Amino acid sequence: MRLTAGSNCLQALGVQSAGLVRGFAEQGTFLDKKDVTDRVLSVVKNFDKVDPSKVTPTSHFQNDLGLDSLDTVEVVMAFEEEFAVEIPDSEADRILSTSDAIDYLASHPMAK
Amino acid sequence: MPSAAEVKALYRALLKEGRKFPNYNIREYVKRKTKEDFRAHKAEADASVVEQLWTKAKSEYEIAKRQAVVYGMYARCQRSIMDVPLQAVLQEQASSGPYGGK
Repeated sequence: MRLTAGSNCLQALGVQSAGLVRGFAEQGTFLDKKDVTDRVLSVVKNFDKVDPSKVTPTSHFQNDLGLDSLDTVEVVMAFEEEFAVEIPDSEADRILSTSDAIDYLASHPMAK
Repeated sequence: MPSAAEVKALYRALLKEGRKFPNYNIREYVKRKTKEDFRAHKAEADASVVEQLWTKAKSEYEIAKRQAVVYGMYARCQRSIMDVPLQAVLQEQASSGPYGGK
């Protein structure tokens, strides 16, 4: 993979630039659903306002976990960081529960 | 007056812009400030106040976008100590220290 000095520098700084550094040869592979479930749940459990004991693979963010719409946006952003993907706004609005997130990320070819 | 979906989209856009700053302090500041400001007015009902806040938030989004580019141009290759995960530092020390390694 060929990188310019600039993008190396950004990488070293941990800047989100997934689109910039991904090579053409890299084929998307789907993650194991069980693995995705574990990681999604740990992300949600680590969220400040969530009671970890209430988190299940089907918890609804607003109804079950007591989060508001701004928190939901933050949780989706946390998924983006964990799985190194960009979730477009239209998809992000549809992720309202842990099961939505698991389904979306397990079917995302670039999630890692 | 902006709809709830528009406000959420701007909130998301601002947080995303915040992530792009290479400098730890500014990156965290933008994220923290965005969260605080949106939360402070989450129950705002007065239409004229909402309109005013909406205009301000949009102009701040433009500022964040521009500054993220400028800061990106002059980024240093050296990471902030805050960007290095503590776990990694401890492992490094454990394996290379006088009592670590094999």
